[in-house]
Amino acid sequence: MEVKVLFFGVLAEVTGTNFKNFRDVKSIGDLKLRIQDDFPEVVHYNYRISLNNEIINTDLKLKDGDEVALMPPFAGG
Amino acid sequence: MVTDYLINGPITKKVICCFLEKIDEKTNSGGHSVFLGQVRADEFNGKKVTAIEYSAYEGMVMVEADKIKATILSEFEDAKSIDFVHSTGIVKAGEISLFVLVSAGHRYQAIHACTKTVELIKEKLPVWKREIFDDDSHEWKQ
Repeated sequence: MEVKVLFFGVLAEVTGTNFKNFRDVKSIGDLKLRIQDDFPEVVHYNYRISLNNEIINTDLKLKDGDEVALMPPFAGG
Repeated sequence: MVTDYLINGPITKKVICCFLEKIDEKTNSGGHSVFLGQVRADEFNGKKVTAIEYSAYEGMVMVEADKIKATILSEFEDAKSIDFVHSTGIVKAGEISLFVLVSAGHRYQAIHACTKTVELIKEKLPVWKREIFDDDSHEWKQ
């Protein structure tokens, strides 16, 4: 299975990419560790996580094709 | 990028006029309230803001924008319609980056629903911006 992770705002800048695909991740918690392994600088920033366009606050299981986004505080307007 | 809620670059007077021309059709409304968000040429530590670069999570913008509209229409019983569009990409100082038009039966609800819509856009819409300065440096804003 594979999930797509999107990086926005300052996180796209510090990771140097807008997205990365991760294989064989079971949960959001698992994915966060994998992201921190690949992009350790991410831990220095505040961000929320969305799963398939919905902001989540709990550790959910992931399935093939899921889209996860790491989102710094919004700043529209 | 051009969607129902996002437009690439500044929101031009032509775009604004397109929205305003349609108020002729809103015959159930007695008041329309408009908000225009403009890029300020702020100065920090001797550096001047020349532009803001916006980015957005397009898929989630569509979801959240629909929720914002539904919230406003349920909270303000007199509100008839809500239109808004936000810029992505580069918007120079003095240009418009957010347009909001709320129509209601009467002025009080039009004005207050418009204000609430702007607040929800700033709180809920997944949009990010970085200020670009006249020395080509930049700073992310929250």
